Amino acid sequence: MADALELELKHLIIDTLELEDVTPEDIDREEPLFVEGLGLDSIDALELGLALQKTYGIKLEADSEESRRHFANLKSLAALVEERRVD
Amino acid sequence: MADVSLLSAPWRNAPLDQPIGWRCAAPLSQAAVSWSVLHGRIGAWQALLDSLAPQGQRWLLHLREPLEFAAALLACWERGDSVVLPADDRPETLTGVDRLTRGRLGDVAEGHRAGPDGGIPRWGTLDADALALSLYTSGSSGDPQRLDKCFAQLDAELSMHARLWPLEGRLVISQVSHQHIYGLLFAILRPLCERAPMATSLCRYPETLSDWLARLATMHHSASAGVSSDTLDAPPGAVLITAPPPLERLPRELDWQAAPQMLSHIHSSGAPLSQAASDGALEALGVPVSEIYGSSETGGIAWRIQQQNSCWTPLPGVEIRDDAQGTLWLRSPFLDSADWQRQADRISLETSGFRLLGRVDHILKVGGKRLSLTSMDRTLGTYPGVLGARTIALPERNTRLGAIVQLEPALIPQDHTTRRALTEALRQHLLETFESTVIPRYWRFVDAWPSNSQGKLAGAVVTQLFRDLQNRRVPRWLGVEFEGDERCRVTLEVPERLIYLQGHFDAKPVVPGVVIVQWAIELAREHLGLKGEFQGLERVKFPRLLCPGDRVELLLFLAPDPPRGERNVKLAFTLKGRQATHASGKALFSSSGDR
Repeated sequence: MADALELELKHLIIDTLELEDVTPEDIDREEPLFVEGLGLDSIDALELGLALQKTYGIKLEADSEESRRHFANLKSLAALVEERRVD
Repeated sequence: MADVSLLSAPWRNAPLDQPIGWRCAAPLSQAAVSWSVLHGRIGAWQALLDSLAPQGQRWLLHLREPLEFAAALLACWERGDSVVLPADDRPETLTGVDRLTRGRLGDVAEGHRAGPDGGIPRWGTLDADALALSLYTSGSSGDPQRLDKCFAQLDAELSMHARLWPLEGRLVISQVSHQHIYGLLFAILRPLCERAPMATSLCRYPETLSDWLARLATMHHSASAGVSSDTLDAPPGAVLITAPPPLERLPRELDWQAAPQMLSHIHSSGAPLSQAASDGALEALGVPVSEIYGSSETGGIAWRIQQQNSCWTPLPGVEIRDDAQGTLWLRSPFLDSADWQRQADRISLETSGFRLLGRVDHILKVGGKRLSLTSMDRTLGTYPGVLGARTIALPERNTRLGAIVQLEPALIPQDHTTRRALTEALRQHLLETFESTVIPRYWRFVDAWPSNSQGKLAGAVVTQLFRDLQNRRVPRWLGVEFEGDERCRVTLEVPERLIYLQGHFDAKPVVPGVVIVQWAIELAREHLGLKGEFQGLERVKFPRLLCPGDRVELLLFLAPDPPRGERNVKLAFTLKGRQATHASGKALFSSSGDR
């Protein structure tokens, strides 16, 4: 199941951020999504927060650092969705 | 009203027990940071500066924490020093500032920080004409411009803000950097001059904003219900200092119940806000957005609330006019000259104000950051093997750029892996000079420069190069070469987000043969003027799979087909990669329907 969710999240990232030359295989589950690795930035962080809310009804913490810790890599993002999805 | 003039240094005799800082996430009893604490921090910074150099220095100052930034800034000013604010903390930016300054202060490499012990601050004199600070044009451009501001200039602008939108003790919550003029004026200097508390940290995300406003509202309820016995009351409301990127991405689903009650003003600056984002913010937060149009050079120029008037109204004291070319001219108390100054923006004057029509030069705003496209093109051009480059603002994607790059043939990527490696290498190359948010996200690699008959990169060609972003059924088009009227060679790439690849998650995604045939026909209609109705296929072969990211050439040849009738035509197509042929065949057309 975890694999299916991770794949779904890969597609969510690619589609939300309109990454044109990234395929799901390019996203390593342990590699950082931001700065190095996939190279996402602060605007992407806002977009991704919005998409998680729309797709899974996930509310992120008010504490900026804490909530964005989940965005570190795909693995932590999947754990967040698993734990908090309301659908 | 108390004197709020910067020149009168209102922070010196502020009531020491009142709050100037507010820890938004803390309980009421621990939220306030008093003026006496700030005075202690100013003293601590002055002690540090005294240990480093005699007065009269310029310092590089970069500090994310708003209140500590304020303490360091006032410590310098009151000591008779001035500061230079780097636009960001990338090593190259800081090195560029170093030669102007005595040393670095704040949260950067080799930055001096004041010790924990407070001291009694020494007050000096703020001379109206003295240099207060220097800062840089917003965001990243290859040639950042330094701008000097004297105290009188800052004071004129701050006093105008205080008259137009008085803070009246409200909490100032900021989502923007105070290393730039807008954040500096609205989020740091206004609270200091008007003696209103500022949030002790930047409010980076919407969840944080929702939480802080809810906490503030709760404090009010418990105060009015007499539950709280604390001596310090919560601020009477809040003002939000923000910019288009957060407002354009404001989640409606968050709990914004406290927003209309607590927020009195929302300010946005950096770039014009779209009508949709302005309406969206009003709907979610219940407060209209007051936008400010201006620049680091000019300070504030005009403002608007879109729901009241979509035109811009000049700020009090600012005069504007246009010239025959529609260029904006400005006379403003916030400039260092009393003469009319020509600006880089084009405007149209209307009865109720003016509209912005875009820049005269190749400067644009990407995600609120100013960027010189010319300088980005130049930087791309220095990468080995790049023969030419043009960065483009894509109409439908106002926060992301596209880049057209002409490469030496050997460097042209042929598949997904090599293309990704190349875009990553170019990204790294640009990151040495530019911030990550302005780096192009859509790359088009060409072997010949796609110009029209005038030798220019025409808008139509740009549209062709990026059309796969709008239509996920078409290949990425990278140029066409003609050999006579009936024969052409189209360079294509298979987009990774092609819609026909979906549904193949488990297996290796490939482009279905029928899609290749469809592409051949559509491109022949576009480039060779193919007309007629499709009749059938002949000798179609797909010897090699076509995968996402593959770069191919499509050879199209249109010939009469007399055996099937005078006016019938045959389209021969061959789709070739560098290694092998992916597809070939013939499609037959009748000319009965003249389409």
